[in-house]
Amino acid sequence: MKRPPCLMRIRINNRRRNINLWLPLFIILPIIFILLLILTPIILVAAAVLWYSGWGRPLLMAVPTALGCLCALRGLEVDFKHNGERVYISIK
Amino acid sequence: MADNQKRILEMLAEGKITVDEAEKLLSLVEPKEDTADRLSDTTTGTRPSPKYMRVVVQPDPASGSGSQVERVNIRIPINLIRAGMKFTTLIPPHAAGRVNEALKEHGVDFDLRNIKPDDIEGLIEALSDFEVDVQGGKEKVHIYTE
Repeated sequence: MKRPPCLMRIRINNRRRNINLWLPLFIILPIIFILLLILTPIILVAAAVLWYSGWGRPLLMAVPTALGCLCALRGLEVDFKHNGERVYISIK
Repeated sequence: MADNQKRILEMLAEGKITVDEAEKLLSLVEPKEDTADRLSDTTTGTRPSPKYMRVVVQPDPASGSGSQVERVNIRIPINLIRAGMKFTTLIPPHAAGRVNEALKEHGVDFDLRNIKPDDIEGLIEALSDFEVDVQGGKEKVHIYTE
């Protein structure tokens, strides 16, 4: 699995204000990990109950797939400019 | 420096064209040469697999509507596309059937259940040759992989 993103940069520039934020995502990651540990038994029980309805496997696989998406966000950049206003989001 | 760029700068030095005209010409020449470079890399077989998909929307230099037009520059990691496509494997069989029926109704004859990890990799490999260049109205849209 790829390394999860560590930082998120949000920059908003317009005539009234200039915002430049560096969000430390690496602080949130341990919280997500603890939440996952707590939720694991619930997910396993729910998957077992829903197995025959066809939703058990998707529920079980949703967690690693969502984590894969989160890790794949590294390198995403969005830059939007219009009429002197700018929104820039970068995930590193 | 490429021949076209040299020629434009020579024309500027000789006073045949203005600075604005030179800027417009250079902006038109650069993407084509960039594409040519990438194509030559493909023929030599040294081209690495793409890492990002880039979507660029910028004002068309010919329209002359610089600041009024939106400028968009998005870099999407190919891994995100790969991870997103894996979500299709999470669709339960009965739901996939309904999705396929809905797609067929809209003229898309495609079975979601047939997507395999190898197909995804093949699709991503094929993206290295993917390039869309749309020029119309005030904007120019360029989608490519890098």
